Amino acid sequence: MQIRFEHFAVTEMMGEPDSPPRANGTLCFTNDWERTVFGMALALAREGHFEWDEFRDELIAEIAAWEEANPVDRSGWDYYERFLAALEKAVAKSGLLDAGDMATLLADLRAA
Amino acid sequence: MTDRFKYREDREAYSAARVRALEALLIQKGILTDKSVDTVLGYFETKMGPFNGAKIVARAWVDPEFKARLVADTPAAVAELDLPAGMAGAEGEHMRAVANDPGVHNLIICTLCSCYPWPVLGLPPYWYKDPTFRSRAAREPRAVLAEFGVDVPESQQIKVWDSSAQIRWFVVPERPAGTESLSESELEALVTPESMMGVALAKAA
Repeated sequence: MQIRFEHFAVTEMMGEPDSPPRANGTLCFTNDWERTVFGMALALAREGHFEWDEFRDELIAEIAAWEEANPVDRSGWDYYERFLAALEKAVAKSGLLDAGDMATLLADLRAA
Repeated sequence: MTDRFKYREDREAYSAARVRALEALLIQKGILTDKSVDTVLGYFETKMGPFNGAKIVARAWVDPEFKARLVADTPAAVAELDLPAGMAGAEGEHMRAVANDPGVHNLIICTLCSCYPWPVLGLPPYWYKDPTFRSRAAREPRAVLAEFGVDVPESQQIKVWDSSAQIRWFVVPERPAGTESLSESELEALVTPESMMGVALAKAA
């Protein structure tokens, strides 16, 4: 039996710089948007829109950039904010969304 | 440095709005559906996770014959239970249960982080892959367990099981005293992932 993609993708992160927060053996989401953004990244990679490792490279780079910018006071740390920023980059690089789409996204955001 | 990481007042709401907008756009373009997120995360939330291990342990607590079968042939015993398909999959087929008793306390560790009985225990805690934890747990398990708050009496032997690509161990903790009147499903709630790793004891609620 093949290992499921979800299983492979998440266990690959364990113990690495991009390990997601967990509690009691399960993924740990404080807010619903965190669950959504994690699920979107997994779903897009599973459907082949980008490689999971490419996404993880973006995430690890986002985390490193944040740590470099916040060497002392890390009270503002938020794993899923970095995750969202990495997903936005991965989506843009994959060509899933073009300039018109991005304009729509920004308009939606202003309206939200 | 730019203000790239300067935080907005409405930080949470802004992130939530960005995620909603991105999801809506991807759905509108037919790249995702409104079920995509639930589908991939359902795997963690309902199919593979510590709730499966809790069911196995609770059954072992109420049925000593099942417990004996579980230790003798873990995959066959697990297959008796109504658990999600895939429990005996690429990882599950090599699962082995070891049961604590008054003479023996079992502890599981791993060489590589992927060697974890994921279908029954869920995702490992961050320290599980830590080289210090692993080497110390192998070398001085009694001291490490004491640091976890588990004081194993000298009369109890400690066995350390190193999971590998071939075998994934998990622990059947001892049933807590005073739980005789609890139902099987009430017992499930007492079984934590840590107790199935051997770094905690199951406790009555």
